[in-house]
Amino acid sequence: MYIELHSRSAFSFLEGASLPENLVEACANLNMPAMALLDRDGVYGSPRFHMAAKKARIKAHIGAEVTCELFSPQRHRDTEKNKNHKAKDSSVPLCLRGEFRLPLLVSSRLGYQNLCRLITKMKLRSAKGEGAVCEEELRQHATGLICLTGDDNGPLASTLAHGGIEEARHCVEQLANIFGRDNIYVELQRHFHREQEARNHAAIEIARSLQLPLLATNGVCYATARERELCDVFTAIRHKRTLATAGRLLARNSERYLKSPQEMQALFADLPEAIANTVELSSRLAFTFKDLGYEFPKYPVPEGETMMSFLRERTREGFQQRYGRASSDLQSRARCQIERELKLIEKLALPGYFLIVWDLVRFCREENILVQGRGSAANSAVCYSLGITAVDAVSMELLFERFLSEERGEWPDIDLDLPSGDQRERVIQYLYKRYGERGAAMTANVITYRSRMASREMGKALGFDPETLDKVSAAVSTWEYRDDNDTFDHRFRDAGLDLNHPRLRKYFELCVAVQDLPRHLGQHSGGMVICQGQLDSIVPLEPASMPGRVVVQWDKEDCADLGIIKVDLLGLGMMAVLEDSLKLIHDHHGEEVNLAHLPSDDPAVYSTLQKADTIGMFQIESRAQMSCLPRLQPKYFYDIVVQVAIIRPGPIVGQMVNPYLRRRMGREPVNHLHPSLEPVLARTLGVPLFQEQLLRIAMVAANFTGGEAEELRRAMGFKRSQARMKDIEARLRSGMESNGISREAQEQIVLSISSFALYGFPESHAASFALIAYASAYLKCHYLAAFTAALLNNQPMGFYRPATLVKDAQRHGLKVLPIDVTKSEWQCTLERSALSNQQSTSSTALRLGLRYARGLREDAGQAIVLQRAIAPFVSIRDLVHRVPELRKDELNTLAEIGALNSVGNSNSPRRHGGTEKTDKRNKKNISISVKPPDTSVSEPALSEVEGCLRGELALHRRDALWQVERAVRNSGPLLDELPEPDTNSPLHPMNPEERLVADFRGTGMTVGPHPMAYHRARMEAMGIHKASDLSRIPDGQHLRIGGCVICRQRPGTAKGFVFLSIEDETGVANAIVMPDLFQKNRLLLSSAQFLMVEGILQNQDNVISVKAERVSPLSITRAETSSHDFY
Amino acid sequence: MKGLTHRVIESMSQYFACIFVPDFPVEALLRAEPELRSRSLAVLEGKAPLQKVFAVNENARRAGVSQGMTKLQIEACSGLVLRARSLPQEAAAHAVLLDCTQSFSPRVEAVGCDTIVLDLAGLQPLFGPLPKIARALARRASDLGLESNVSVAGNPETATLAARGFSGVTVIPEGKEAEQLGSLPVEVLFENSTQESAHLLETFSRWGIRKLRDLAALPDVALSERLGQDGILLQALARGATSRTLVPVEPPLIFEEVVELEYPLVLLEPLAFLLGRLLEQLCARLEARALATQELRLSLELENGWQPEDPSANNGETGVPARPSRAQARQSFQRTLRLPVPLLDPKTFLKLLQLDLKAHPPGAPIVKIRLAAEPVRPRAAQNGLFLPPAPEPEKLELTLARIASIVGEDKVGSLELLDTHRPQGFRMQRFAPSEPFSPQRHPSTALRAGSGTEKNSSHFSVQKNSSVSPCLRGECDLVTALRIFRPPVDIAVAIQDGKLAHITCPRNKAMQGEILWAAGPWRSSGDWWEKEGWARDEWDIAVQGESDIALYRLVRDRLGGRWFLEGTYD
Repeated sequence: MYIELHSRSAFSFLEGASLPENLVEACANLNMPAMALLDRDGVYGSPRFHMAAKKARIKAHIGAEVTCELFSPQRHRDTEKNKNHKAKDSSVPLCLRGEFRLPLLVSSRLGYQNLCRLITKMKLRSAKGEGAVCEEELRQHATGLICLTGDDNGPLASTLAHGGIEEARHCVEQLANIFGRDNIYVELQRHFHREQEARNHAAIEIARSLQLPLLATNGVCYATARERELCDVFTAIRHKRTLATAGRLLARNSERYLKSPQEMQALFADLPEAIANTVELSSRLAFTFKDLGYEFPKYPVPEGETMMSFLRERTREGFQQRYGRASSDLQSRARCQIERELKLIEKLALPGYFLIVWDLVRFCREENILVQGRGSAANSAVCYSLGITAVDAVSMELLFERFLSEERGEWPDIDLDLPSGDQRERVIQYLYKRYGERGAAMTANVITYRSRMASREMGKALGFDPETLDKVSAAVSTWEYRDDNDTFDHRFRDAGLDLNHPRLRKYFELCVAVQDLPRHLGQHSGGMVICQGQLDSIVPLEPASMPGRVVVQWDKEDCADLGIIKVDLLGLGMMAVLEDSLKLIHDHHGEEVNLAHLPSDDPAVYSTLQKADTIGMFQIESRAQMSCLPRLQPKYFYDIVVQVAIIRPGPIVGQMVNPYLRRRMGREPVNHLHPSLEPVLARTLGVPLFQEQLLRIAMVAANFTGGEAEELRRAMGFKRSQARMKDIEARLRSGMESNGISREAQEQIVLSISSFALYGFPESHAASFALIAYASAYLKCHYLAAFTAALLNNQPMGFYRPATLVKDAQRHGLKVLPIDVTKSEWQCTLERSALSNQQSTSSTALRLGLRYARGLREDAGQAIVLQRAIAPFVSIRDLVHRVPELRKDELNTLAEIGALNSVGNSNSPRRHGGTEKTDKRNKKNISISVKPPDTSVSEPALSEVEGCLRGELALHRRDALWQVERAVRNSGPLLDELPEPDTNSPLHPMNPEERLVADFRGTGMTVGPHPMAYHRARMEAMGIHKASDLSRIPDGQHLRIGGCVICRQRPGTAKGFVFLSIEDETGVANAIVMPDLFQKNRLLLSSAQFLMVEGILQNQDNVISVKAERVSPLSITRAETSSHDFY
Repeated sequence: MKGLTHRVIESMSQYFACIFVPDFPVEALLRAEPELRSRSLAVLEGKAPLQKVFAVNENARRAGVSQGMTKLQIEACSGLVLRARSLPQEAAAHAVLLDCTQSFSPRVEAVGCDTIVLDLAGLQPLFGPLPKIARALARRASDLGLESNVSVAGNPETATLAARGFSGVTVIPEGKEAEQLGSLPVEVLFENSTQESAHLLETFSRWGIRKLRDLAALPDVALSERLGQDGILLQALARGATSRTLVPVEPPLIFEEVVELEYPLVLLEPLAFLLGRLLEQLCARLEARALATQELRLSLELENGWQPEDPSANNGETGVPARPSRAQARQSFQRTLRLPVPLLDPKTFLKLLQLDLKAHPPGAPIVKIRLAAEPVRPRAAQNGLFLPPAPEPEKLELTLARIASIVGEDKVGSLELLDTHRPQGFRMQRFAPSEPFSPQRHPSTALRAGSGTEKNSSHFSVQKNSSVSPCLRGECDLVTALRIFRPPVDIAVAIQDGKLAHITCPRNKAMQGEILWAAGPWRSSGDWWEKEGWARDEWDIAVQGESDIALYRLVRDRLGGRWFLEGTYD
């Protein structure tokens, strides 16, 4: 028997080529009862290794290869000699950098804690990917660890290569001294290398002379020999070489695969004790992750209180606030529910967790940071009372078991939504401060190879030129729906690469093989783990790339698998929008809006929702949502909860949407499957829409307990184990059978559970989101300027590009002013509108912020604002001199988008008194080309030249460009003092098309007329209808629509249908493209900016779309409009 | 444009013509295949499998083919003809263009490979009025297989811009330059896309300057304040108001001698006599111009259809090939001698040519000899007083040529070790001692000299010697050298009970016998991403020979299954 005790997984990041699960699978196939995973400087892959091994009934030993500094005296000699090598050049062998890798195996929990602390110490003091522990640290943390003498990079090989056998013997003696003679094994590997065999002879001699045991290992880097190729590619990537230039950095052969006990016995036939010792050592390694010793922190409570009593008291206080004015029935139900929940919390010893989350929420409230619990926590009345969530679980009859259940044996999961950006960072820093640097950390986010990165890095390693790599990467489809043609094969062909060529074939194979392997470790956006005492004894900690952040070596799934409680502090763009809107409303209108006390029945909100006029609103702005809103006709808050939940893959795949809508419109009778389910399904008209309903169905129809029902959902959803699922399904059916539910109803119930168990929303979660959706709708309806400014200041977020948001706001009567260095702040702001506009219903205008000038750095933008506050800029030259941060390209962009037009103006007539000749020329241009033909839209930027002539603007854009070019040219000290010459430029003002191009290039949008407005007459001649006309055209009519494509979708649930949103100056029209039409016009539909769609108008219950029969490109503008394509 | 002397024209008395060949790489290929002119043609560049479109003709452009597309992308385009880019054909086309223009005027400047400017001074009495000259020029180029644009103007730059911008024949009368050029896009000013030109183009685009007339209309001083002298120069170009001296192409220095023979030559001896004479003439010409040569090109025209009476009787003759069909196929035979240093010694040249022809016989009777020398400046070297003398280059060349004629050309030179696990991964480089000769050798060559020995630093034996490698003890004085067999010796190996038992060598009886012990296998493999991937196992074996025990390195090619002895240990 042989046990592999030295292997690396792909979590050694570019040093191993197999996932831990694959190693375990190979181990099980070889009938090996145990295996050890020793990843480089970490235990990154250990949780997955542990979970896979548990499933395969294999013992998973934990350990790591830890980088160490060479022991003195070699260390001093080597490090001095190779000081230059120690710099980041990874192609220099470790031993030349004065380091080696020490394989350490964990034999006890103390050993594991020591290993974690050792790695943490090393990681936290060095840059990413660097660092080494010193001899002293090894001594401090040696207990419970067993040391091997390592392979090519190990201590024995390093000292042997440098100082010969005596130094090597001395090094091994030192290791024996550090770890104890019983805890060191002299490691032998046989990969059929001459040099390695020579080293083995030395190792045997040293082991015999020091009476230390020998240990055979294979230094595994991949599960099967075939994966050596990937390992070579990783080596090339690691050393920033190509395969062709990596030379002897690559492996000599393919022997580092997981070998069978028989193979290893044959290899070490002359040293049977080295094989036997593997079994003996394995039996000594008692530690597994079952014995992790994690404990959630205790919340400090006043003397005389326990955490439970303190929690009870806080809940009672909250109860008064939340339910104080509720009906007595609700109060008694709530009291009952809270008591039930508190009992369970006490039983599961979780009061500390609730108190810590409560404390976080309290901190947010005190600091005026918007916070709202989401997810299943909203099913808890305790969470509602504590102010963690905003949804009343009792009145909404939400299922508590979905959140917490005794049977499930899992920790609860409370996710908090916070405004993204600085506010969330403040909350994170609060947690760090409160629980100490080693007590709290972010969870990791393992970055894995996906199509794009795979094709790029594999191609690079094979030596392909960047242009080819760009083509392959660009050809990687980003559509959600993938048809049969959408394979790697086709992507290669799309990029113009012939897979019949062997080298390209190899490229293709490597791209496929590397999929899903980890590349490096990132930081999860919001997951935090905290621990009682030292978190660094549970998992090694690393510095994150963001200063002041610490990250654990495991991702959130790993943490959950190992029972570590995490708090998700999620940054939600819309929370930041709400917060910013409130501030803008306060500053500009002097009004205080309290989101908790918004009227729940605002008619403007519901009227807007019913018209699907929801661009910019949270969760209900997508095309799919918009196509549902006119049919659902929301009238109450609960309708929004349904609306949020219904457009999800679960209900769509489970074909729940149409039955629900038909029943809602009274076109289909309500059917509850079984009378006993009526209470469960009544409010969703007999159609299960929420996860809780599934759980309740199982409880009512098949007598499941809450925990069992949750287990059923997970089993159905993840489809992890066919056997487990079958077992639960059988229990479900037998339960339903005993309750007298018909076979037909049983089938329907099983279908609905299995179809959207995973992809449906919990009702509580939908309710939390619906609150935010309602708030966003309310603000948009009543404070459009503030809401739009906040939306623009928090981009990127949501479904639409800023250009669409601006156009939508303009259609709703908001006056949007262009960027102006004399007025714009860095962020978008509100201004009192100076000009009254016929279409403007409000006197408030939105001024675009400097942040929308592409390429303008924030420090330069802020410097403009700062200098302007001191004194207005009298000329462009003055601006250039006073804001030296501005680069030439930034000034050019500002000039090109018209942001410098009013520099030096100060509301005075044209400062330099343009000559008659220039003005005449401008006038002539206006009459010929500037004025868009037949446009009803009149907006500020349109009349830039007219404004220039009227004296409102000092310059036109090309005047500014002309001046910028002179101002930035260093004329030298001799000419520097020369007075500024006449600022008239000989350049022609931009025509509307040029301004459009400049606007889109410089800001990604235009505040002037929509590009389509300039071509309306031509469009009408072509028979193209406006988007706003479609509601007046009868269903079934053949017509044409045309405009800018702002969104292309190919949802995974839509069987290859493509949905286009096409915007013109009057609104957005929708087009549906059938799969065959898409195939025929793939390139056009995927890339054209302006399209004409010809087809049949469909108007069903005011949901309007055009079923495309023909598509063709429209020539409108050269401006680079963009669309949101792969949602 | 920088560095050229420009001045604003005051009077126009001179005219210049410019001939420009659009899609030059395509036109160069069409000269050889004119039947493709009516088809869509794309010229590809790059190595397989990553060839990309380098140039296209108008038909292909209309079919949607553009520069930069990959071969696979355009393969679907029906009726499209693909050709690889041919630099020799482009060079030939350029030479033709020069010939064409030089047949009109002696003062000709090659502005680019596709653009030639010629001075028309004094041509009107010979060829008629300017439009007629321009048309004649275009017709002449067309007769030579190149479709071109021709323009005539009062200065070379205007003529060049007009030829690039207007198709067909254009004649710009005096004083009409700015007016005529005005309609051209500003892009014509920028022949090569450099970073600077891209920057200027972007500035013009921002300013709304699209045509040359827009640029011409800008005020000079203000333009100079913004774009400096570059801007002024571009504006002068746009106005057609520049002038410069033509830089005429000098007739190439051609050193070539040709002899046509009345009777075909069969023997090398008379050939050597003739070659000697030609070499003396060439060297005398070179010497007269104070030049030497570093490259000799010998071109022998062979008799067609000749077949030897006795194919084996080639000793001392010009080397009749073993296969007559080869002789029939050949029409000319070319050899090029490249020398490491410039030389001018006819005797050395003759010897080198003789040695080369001995190693590479022409294979058929010779009817014409053409010998050309590439002129270079002669070597002016003086070695250091205290440095060891380097070998005379002439003698060294002769010695190397002699060795090469015996062992083969690819087997002479300096070794360069390759960074690879592939055993004996090296390539040969031409031997050229550094000047002055340095006693330090290249580290890679110092590691393994070309003697064919290899230090086997790990000395151990699996079965008999359990002692540690001396190198690991720091006692590296004991080394085993591996003497490599080139080529390796193929053998058969008998295996008993999974162990190597016996080797048999059909070619060398001394290399066979019972395997007494073996260490290995030592396994290696690599280059798996290439067609030439390799994988092998090695053993170090002791074989009981007839008299004593021999140590060999035994190798099995794991891909081909072949067994061979790679070398013997001293």
